[in-house]
Amino acid sequence: MDANVKTDPATFEVVKNSLYAAAEEMKVVLAKTAYSPILKSAGDYSCGVFDVSGNMVAQGPDLPIHLGSMPDAVKAVVQSVEAMAEDFQPGDIFIHNDPYFGGSHLPDVNVVSPAFREGRLLGFACVRAHWPDIGSATPGSYGAVTEIFGEGLRLPPVRLYSAGKLNRDVDAIIFCNVRTPDERRGDLNAQIAANRRGSERLSELAGKYGADVLLRIMGEVMDYSDAMMRALLRDLPDGEGSFEDFCDGDGILEPGATEDETFTVCMKVKKFGDALVVDFTGSDPQVAGPMNAPLSVTASGVFTSVKMAVDPTGMIPPNSGCWRSVTVIAPEGSVVNATFPAPVVYANHEMSHRISDMMFGALAAFMPDRVMACSQGTSAILTLGGVDYRTGGRYVSYETIKGGFGARPTKDGINCVASGISNTMNTPIEVLEMSFPVRVEYYEIIADSGGAGKYRGGCAARRAWRILGNDAQAAVCCERTKSPPFGLDGGKAGTPMRIHLETPDGARRELISKGGFTAPADSRVLFEVPGSGGYGAPEERDPVSLRNDLRNGYVSLNAARRYYGVTDPQALLDGDD
Amino acid sequence: MSWRIGVDIGGTFTDVALVNEDNGRIGIAKVSTTPDDFGAGVVQALSIALDDHNVAPESVSLLSHATTVVTNAILENKGARIALVATRGFRDVLELRRSARVDLYDLYQDAPAVLAPRHCRLEVTERLDASGAVVTPLDESDIDPIIEFVKNNDIEAVAVSLLYSFLNDAHERIVGDRLRAALPGVPVFLSSEVLPEIREYERTSTTAVCAYVGPILESYLHRLEEAVSGMGLPKLYVMGSSGGVFDVAEGLKMPAMAIESGPAAGVIAAQLIGRQLNKPNLISFDMGGTTAKASLIKDGQVETTSEYEVGGGDGNVNRWMNGAGHPIRVPVIDLAEVSAGGGSIAWIDPVGALRVGPKSAGAAPGPVCYDGGGVDPTVTDANLTLGYLDPGALLAGRLAIRADKAEAAITERLAGPLKLDVDATAAAVVSIVNNAMAEALRIVSVERGHDAREFSLVAFGGAGPMHAAELASELGVREIIIPPIPGGFSALGLVATDLKRDYVKTFYAPLTGIDPADINAVYQGMEESARDMLRATDIPESRWVFERAADLRYLRQAYELTVPAPADAVTPETLDALANGFHEKHRQTYGHENRNEIVQMVNLRLTAIGRLEGLDLRQTSATGGGSSMTGSRKVWFKGASRIDCAIHDRDKMNAGAEAPGPAVIQAVDTTIVVPPGWTARADDNGYIIMEASDGC
Repeated sequence: MDANVKTDPATFEVVKNSLYAAAEEMKVVLAKTAYSPILKSAGDYSCGVFDVSGNMVAQGPDLPIHLGSMPDAVKAVVQSVEAMAEDFQPGDIFIHNDPYFGGSHLPDVNVVSPAFREGRLLGFACVRAHWPDIGSATPGSYGAVTEIFGEGLRLPPVRLYSAGKLNRDVDAIIFCNVRTPDERRGDLNAQIAANRRGSERLSELAGKYGADVLLRIMGEVMDYSDAMMRALLRDLPDGEGSFEDFCDGDGILEPGATEDETFTVCMKVKKFGDALVVDFTGSDPQVAGPMNAPLSVTASGVFTSVKMAVDPTGMIPPNSGCWRSVTVIAPEGSVVNATFPAPVVYANHEMSHRISDMMFGALAAFMPDRVMACSQGTSAILTLGGVDYRTGGRYVSYETIKGGFGARPTKDGINCVASGISNTMNTPIEVLEMSFPVRVEYYEIIADSGGAGKYRGGCAARRAWRILGNDAQAAVCCERTKSPPFGLDGGKAGTPMRIHLETPDGARRELISKGGFTAPADSRVLFEVPGSGGYGAPEERDPVSLRNDLRNGYVSLNAARRYYGVTDPQALLDGDD
Repeated sequence: MSWRIGVDIGGTFTDVALVNEDNGRIGIAKVSTTPDDFGAGVVQALSIALDDHNVAPESVSLLSHATTVVTNAILENKGARIALVATRGFRDVLELRRSARVDLYDLYQDAPAVLAPRHCRLEVTERLDASGAVVTPLDESDIDPIIEFVKNNDIEAVAVSLLYSFLNDAHERIVGDRLRAALPGVPVFLSSEVLPEIREYERTSTTAVCAYVGPILESYLHRLEEAVSGMGLPKLYVMGSSGGVFDVAEGLKMPAMAIESGPAAGVIAAQLIGRQLNKPNLISFDMGGTTAKASLIKDGQVETTSEYEVGGGDGNVNRWMNGAGHPIRVPVIDLAEVSAGGGSIAWIDPVGALRVGPKSAGAAPGPVCYDGGGVDPTVTDANLTLGYLDPGALLAGRLAIRADKAEAAITERLAGPLKLDVDATAAAVVSIVNNAMAEALRIVSVERGHDAREFSLVAFGGAGPMHAAELASELGVREIIIPPIPGGFSALGLVATDLKRDYVKTFYAPLTGIDPADINAVYQGMEESARDMLRATDIPESRWVFERAADLRYLRQAYELTVPAPADAVTPETLDALANGFHEKHRQTYGHENRNEIVQMVNLRLTAIGRLEGLDLRQTSATGGGSSMTGSRKVWFKGASRIDCAIHDRDKMNAGAEAPGPAVIQAVDTTIVVPPGWTARADDNGYIIMEASDGC
């Protein structure tokens, strides 16, 4: 912390907590007033408070995926205003989504509002929210294309409001480029209202403590997280580890091919004292389809796992200061550091999931008690769009399905819960079916999907959607159909992702992990999402736990025999605890 | 003379409050809670109370109580063995939850235990569509194996929750009828009876909670009923989470209603005070040893919410449900709770910053000054060091305390590493905990769009009156009311409440396309059930009240706001008024509205109330002249440092007596801190009113 002037302990703690409360309040306003299910129910957004340079001072209790990339989004606004030699005005509201100007992927729309007190700039409120559609040829904007130009509307940082006045030209361009514009407007209004709440709170804090004190404390809060991160890192053993893994592909089939071509990600992690270096040298060059991660997306995957491994009890407030001790090296033009105009839409979550899981694989070499086996490793997305036969109106639906959370060194994994960089919720089936012309025919846990181990991997779910009335334009974005989630320390892998389209005649066809297709009326889209990896040798599993697994159908009798080495599983099941 | 009696079973003590209906005089009794058999403690406390105050059992007109038995069953995983019956393909609904994890970064977190283990989740073939029409008829042959399963596995209660049963309960009713006929003695809860409301996970969870706690609540209430009727006392009422009492039979239909029984009582007591003192706008603030709770009363009405989780572990600011517990969608008094209290431990983190809580020293070892082996300095130790607490003893001399040990602990563990003096350190601890509690107050007021300055603060709980003035200053509140017996205040709420039952029914349609007659029919259906319920009480019909409300949202939103509806027949104008009320509430709560957007009706609500006679609470004021001031000591105040401070004895404060700040008023069960710029005054009824002078 600054050696010259230091805030007294009480004021520091009080203002720090107030900054995080402001970010959390923004979340409430956003979630409770947004229109699209992915925001209001599923929670695919992050809210934060930023300093005048665009550093994140406080992130709300939102998505880890935005940890690394949100500051870039605010910095992009700061830089664009500086580049034009302009100033921020009270009532300005900026909007942008371009991954090549500080965004993550086009559907993630950033709204940035400066906060003022008596004419003085204090910092910014920013809400990044996933819009279920941002244009492009595919409803949901999840098509397999080969350039960012095909992924939808690109907005560099532009003013949606100038000094409180709506910029109608920008507004008109946005809303004629997206599907279901009324719904999008509801989402945008919610983002603006959340930002207003955040910037009001900043302004009030400046009024109460003085702008100088507030700005100083905003800096101190980031210094504090840095110091905490370094203190916790120092307590952990030094060492090096590496991990290599391959992805299913990018959704673009070469002419004549029936299989998507895989590509490889390489990672080396080195920890010494209070510094951590993560080096992706050796990873494959960027690919044709949208599996290319902007550097900030790669960093988000790294940061998520570092936070979980180093600070498992949540002592460090999440902000830009946390990551000063972490260096990410990623070759330019590779799948982990995309260069313009590579398409990126899938990579935002699929690559950051992968990197987050691989981090644990690499850290296992020298801090085995701070890691988890691989989680489901994909956001498992299905988008559907078309015309609702009940109303004649257009619709776009976007859902993510949860599988296993990886097994831990002393505990089983968790069944069917968000893991790693994601923490979105499912949409209630009753709400989904009232909103969109689909019927979910089952949504249930899959037996034997969690990787066998002394500590079993978390089980996965399967789900079937029947398409009602009209044909739907569908797209999927999934991973781990070919590389199932790995186990650690002798634990087995979880089951891989499976996607099928079942036409009305009952014929089933397996789909590749990414890309668009037509789902005819009365067809079914079937998902089996991945289970997570196990931890430790399956033979060492406690028989009482295994009996519970058998009784509850998490593990079948066959699997008990085959993977756990139980000669008479029926006797185990019938035995007493 | 007739008396009303309230019994509040808390974690540590069971409090009994008696109020004389004729003159409002209050009596209390306190015994240790008996966790192995809560009833034993209740009976003991009642016997003491009746004896102490010479009350004959036949002169008791109302006996109501708040219980933690339901909450404890869930927290301790000691509920019944239950089976869940679901639509085929959806038996895992309780385990799939809403799929978000509780903590973003905690590697070792666990999902909450599912109330029905997977082998007790059963399915029937059936399916309705999103309009309630049958897609797949119910296969009744699936019911027989369920009956066999329940019999063979000692299942104690069954929850049935099928998709869209809130639109069409035909399938659920068939399943329910068959199970009830074949399984006498096994309570069967249908989601369409418990909570006919959209969202399958939340509805199923509420139904499962009812099944899980139903058998325990039943045996507890029946035992207790027997015991009190053996004492010659009247029928037993139970406090519900929405702030009204219900009788035993009604409670067993909907056991989830008894979840937040105790905390609700405190807010109802505050509401009573508001009525009595003609202060319709209040913030109630209850601070004990481990948690602090805040709630808002506006225009004399308590606010309720249907977003509630039970069994979520640590109490924390509930701005956002994080999925740590089991959601129950019954109206619960809207409380914001923080893990902050007198026992909260102050500590230095790895990089040298001062933190307070969330760990608490609890009852054992307790604060350092209690000399029970505690070594970590707490908020109570900081209060003592600053001079707020009597350095000799608490509880009128019954609890000796060690100020020297408290100061030593603060010096060694906090002030040394922080390089601050002991006063500055203790003040920092108090200021941090005050800020945490102010969060709870802000959530129920400012964040809901209310101007806190228009409210008075009612401070109670053992520690509430000590921190109230600082919190009030923080929020701009200028008046604080400290009730008689702040330590046993919740029990008073039990005698002040009305009989109350909440009904809900999903009515899912855009407001513009609704035939008012359809809404009328739903309201009237709920009202009929309510009249049946009220007829079973001895409250005359002239005191029955039915309050209507509707849950509304913009067409494509996910969260509703509850808007009151007029009691008379629904007309097109009623619908317009509802829409207007919704737009306004949306603006107030979230800062924006959209008058061009379609408003969606989601649920209709009816609250049935059987009003009890009004009541005024009075505590005998001191009589005789003389000053209440008993001495003075040096006390630390913000902006003033250590100054001479008058010490008053509350029991010696006559009606009208004043204690201008700086002052400390000591009472048996609390300490009231009056900072400079505030003045405390005793009123005719034994209340202390504190007011800020200008400039504070």
